[in-house]
Amino acid sequence: MPIKSYILHYEEDKKETLVRELQKLQNCEVFPAKNHDVIIIVTETETEELDNKLYHKLLEINGLKHMSLVSGFDTK
Amino acid sequence: MKRLFLIVLFALLMLAVIYMWSKSYYTSQEEAYVQLSVETEQAFIPSEKGVFERAEYALDYAKMPEDKNHERTLKTYYNNRAFHGAPPSIPHPIIDDLNIGEKSCLKCHQNGGYVSKFKAYAPVVPHPEKVNCRQCHVTENTKGVFRNYTKQDFYVPIENNAEFVGGPPVIPHQIQLHENCLACHAGPAAPKEIRVIHPERSNCRQCHVVNNKELKDIGDFIR
Amino acid sequence: MAQESIDRRSFIKKMAAAAAMTAAATMFPGIIFASEQLENLPKGANLDWKKGPCRFCGVGCGILVGVDKGKAVAVKGDPNCEVNKGLLCVKGYHQTMCIQAKDRLTHALVKKNGSYVKTPIHEALDIVANKMKETMEKHGKDSVAMYTSGQSTIPEGYVASKLMKGAIGTNNLDCNARLCMASAVAGFLTTFGADEPMGCYEDINYADYFITWGNNMAEMHPVLFSRMLEQKNNRGAKIIDFATRTTRSSMAANKSILFEPQTDLAVANAICYEIINNDWVNKLFVEKHCNFSKGLTNIGYGTEDKFKFKDKPEGINFEEYKKFLEDYTPEKVAKYSKVSVKDIKYLANIYGDPNKKVVSYWCMGMNQHTRGTWINNLVYNIHLLTGKISQPGNGPFSLTGQPSACGTAREVGTFTHKLPKGVVMNEKHRRLAAKIWKVPYENIPSKPTYHATEMFRAVDRGDIKFIWTQVTNPLVSLPKTGRYREGMEKDSCFVVVSDVFPTPTSDVADVILPASWHIEKAGLYGNSERRTQHWDKMVEGPGDTMPDAWMTIEIAKRMGYGELFPYSEENHVEEIYNEYRQFHEGAKHGMAPLEVLKKESGAIWPYVDGKSTQWRFNAEYDPACSNGEEFHFYGKPDGKAVIWQRPYEPAAEFPDQEYPFWLNTGRVIEHWHTGSMTRRIPVLHKAMPHAYVEFHPEDARTLGIRNGEKVKVTSRRGSCTLPASINERGLPTRGQVFVPFFDESLLINDVTLDAFCPISKEPDYKKCAVKVERV
Repeated sequence: MPIKSYILHYEEDKKETLVRELQKLQNCEVFPAKNHDVIIIVTETETEELDNKLYHKLLEINGLKHMSLVSGFDTK
Repeated sequence: MKRLFLIVLFALLMLAVIYMWSKSYYTSQEEAYVQLSVETEQAFIPSEKGVFERAEYALDYAKMPEDKNHERTLKTYYNNRAFHGAPPSIPHPIIDDLNIGEKSCLKCHQNGGYVSKFKAYAPVVPHPEKVNCRQCHVTENTKGVFRNYTKQDFYVPIENNAEFVGGPPVIPHQIQLHENCLACHAGPAAPKEIRVIHPERSNCRQCHVVNNKELKDIGDFIR
Repeated sequence: MAQESIDRRSFIKKMAAAAAMTAAATMFPGIIFASEQLENLPKGANLDWKKGPCRFCGVGCGILVGVDKGKAVAVKGDPNCEVNKGLLCVKGYHQTMCIQAKDRLTHALVKKNGSYVKTPIHEALDIVANKMKETMEKHGKDSVAMYTSGQSTIPEGYVASKLMKGAIGTNNLDCNARLCMASAVAGFLTTFGADEPMGCYEDINYADYFITWGNNMAEMHPVLFSRMLEQKNNRGAKIIDFATRTTRSSMAANKSILFEPQTDLAVANAICYEIINNDWVNKLFVEKHCNFSKGLTNIGYGTEDKFKFKDKPEGINFEEYKKFLEDYTPEKVAKYSKVSVKDIKYLANIYGDPNKKVVSYWCMGMNQHTRGTWINNLVYNIHLLTGKISQPGNGPFSLTGQPSACGTAREVGTFTHKLPKGVVMNEKHRRLAAKIWKVPYENIPSKPTYHATEMFRAVDRGDIKFIWTQVTNPLVSLPKTGRYREGMEKDSCFVVVSDVFPTPTSDVADVILPASWHIEKAGLYGNSERRTQHWDKMVEGPGDTMPDAWMTIEIAKRMGYGELFPYSEENHVEEIYNEYRQFHEGAKHGMAPLEVLKKESGAIWPYVDGKSTQWRFNAEYDPACSNGEEFHFYGKPDGKAVIWQRPYEPAAEFPDQEYPFWLNTGRVIEHWHTGSMTRRIPVLHKAMPHAYVEFHPEDARTLGIRNGEKVKVTSRRGSCTLPASINERGLPTRGQVFVPFFDESLLINDVTLDAFCPISKEPDYKKCAVKVERV
């Protein structure tokens, strides 16, 4: 099951909405930074397919400006 | 003709004198003093006020970086204190000996900051309103002792201060003279073991209460 | 194997997070992450985090309780909950520790020959049910009574109401919310016709000014106060503390204005005078949406038994109201209220400025007041005259003290005159209740009987012969406890107490039933901002403990009302809630379905079409508005709110030659109410071990009292000896003392007076006259 971590940049003043949206997602752990406009998330899904779906869902989220993958593991 | 003119002139002068004199008399009767409204001094509670001081810098504190090279540790913090809660001695040479402290100390210690001469961050004083600094804080002018003495270790409880894992740690020390939490627990001059990660939350004593571990334990509640 | 793979997964997740954080740190040096709550978790601990609302105050923070091997080992704030966004206060963080106390009630105790005998619970329930039946047969239905609580869950309140009003047919049901929110309720009903605040906590994010009226939010609603402080730091919002004593909140506020006790009535009227005089009235709003009314004056204080009062409202017009306010010019009011003219005009200016958004917060200072209903009306007047109501960041907000005084006491209606929808006096409401409860319509009595204070007076007189208290400790929380303790000790009354810990109330009980604590049962609470929150059972209770709702159901079954209570033990909470929801159907009060409450961290009612109504009466946000205008106060039949003409009347008892000090009572942040739970939490006990009496330093100097010295506080009713406290937690004004009431061994309620507001029947704990002497 793929475990990936991303760094997210968001549009100005969108931190609250973004964090809320992310926390609603099932397989996503959210670590907002306190003193910079950056959020780190760690996603964990059952299969590659679900991971792909989650990735696309993340791209759609309101307020997201830029998302970059930092690390990925596939634990089988 | 001349006489009439003179009589009228003096009569007019007389009237003028009477008029001006009475006018000035009545004006002098008026209240000259405008009552000042007494400004009531805002009351304050010494042990409660300190928590909120420096709160206007709370957001700045949250942004201050961790400077690993110039951080203090609790060991260095206690190097110049005789016991937990003692006034620290002044570890650096001071410029002018002929003063009580005041501005010459506060110019660095009111708000802290990096001092390149001593390669360290100036600690922020939690009680800046006390201006007679050198009443309690003295310099160290020699390294030796007059006569030998038994050195006493003092215990500073910094482990296991939170009842629950992940819960808010209690305040294990008394707060007299250090009511202002941010002065010692936030900013780059804070010893790294006690530097707090959420300085922007201004109401510290909402979650952290005083359970003074220096005194004897009062035990649990029994009916 | 599964354990290994879970551990490996969590290890890899931590690695992934660490990698991302390192990457972020290279991009933004000095970056800090809000992960302190995850850092400290023990390695490999499989903590199951379950959500629920906090057990304590009316803020209603969402908590997550970490359960390991069937025990609660950690508590943290629920980051998903809009109320507190992951933050709690010191009581909230340690709440689950109280159930570890060694003297926890685990078995039923029945008094036989002067001592308590451990009894199997079913036997004890048999005794209670038989005694109740016996008393009703001998002395009639109105000789039995129940006294529940604003800390009871919604199902608990509902079955109590159904049993007493539907099955047995008596209105002898009241609750301790009578001592806390009754004036606020009466204020809402007289001004708006509908109970509970029209705004929500999100107002905090928009307001420019926060004005607190006689409440110490930093200690009593700490999480809300922290949100206000955040706004103060980020947006420059201002906090004005208007109170009778200097507190922690005053220290954090921008400005602190002190007033003489009881003169809040006069100052509120003076502010209205200034608003009208300076032409700051929102004329369009007042014309379209407000009526003017006045009631009776000189209405008494309720200190006599069987005191009765009914207000006679009379419509007036704006001119008469304006003329009435001429007695309340700032210059006249400043003379006796000790508030300077400058400060009154300052407050009026804040309210009157159309560009400033103002939220007024108040709690016990205005509610526990012999003219509590009036002062609630007066603060609403200020907001109605300026049209600052029902908008984001603009409006009056009556804070609730107890965690479910809204959800249970007010919404379910565990008061002598209330039903889950409406009042017993109204035939339509009785018919609705009879239909849903499946009882004959004639069963539900139409006349209210005793409110809380009268109920205990009736116990003392011998009119009530059986009383059952649940989730409350009246012998520490009632005023003038001296009389009521004697009353409950009498043989004429059979006392049943359901509680978690032994208290002074259970000390006089004939039967003690062991109740489940918060997380040992499922339930629902409703907080100040109309948010209903649900939680599931998280841990098993010890011994014979039983949820209060199930105790009521068992008693009902034994009394022959089993068909009315067809609930199962595992699911009774769900079944009861679904039945209860039927009462509130509609856009004005619809409650969210249980599935929503289980998933989300609470939902605000009215819950219409999947959305919570955050601001009521405002057509932009409230789908229940139907009159086509911008605002519709649909609680009143003509859709208009009422501006009440209420005068200043002095307190029931004020300082004189013999008793020269005002006595004020209240709480501290460490302890909840009567301390039966919080004192058994070691952290909190160590932080605040005993009660004290606060003095002003000048008064202390005149009396020769030093900090910590024992002082005897005496009134015409009783006395209490406490250590003095000078300049520690709070600073009263000269001529005033303050005592917190959490300490059952330093019982300050022996000294207080049971005068109450004649309209709401809520006692005034904040004002009586005492004398002070060194011991």
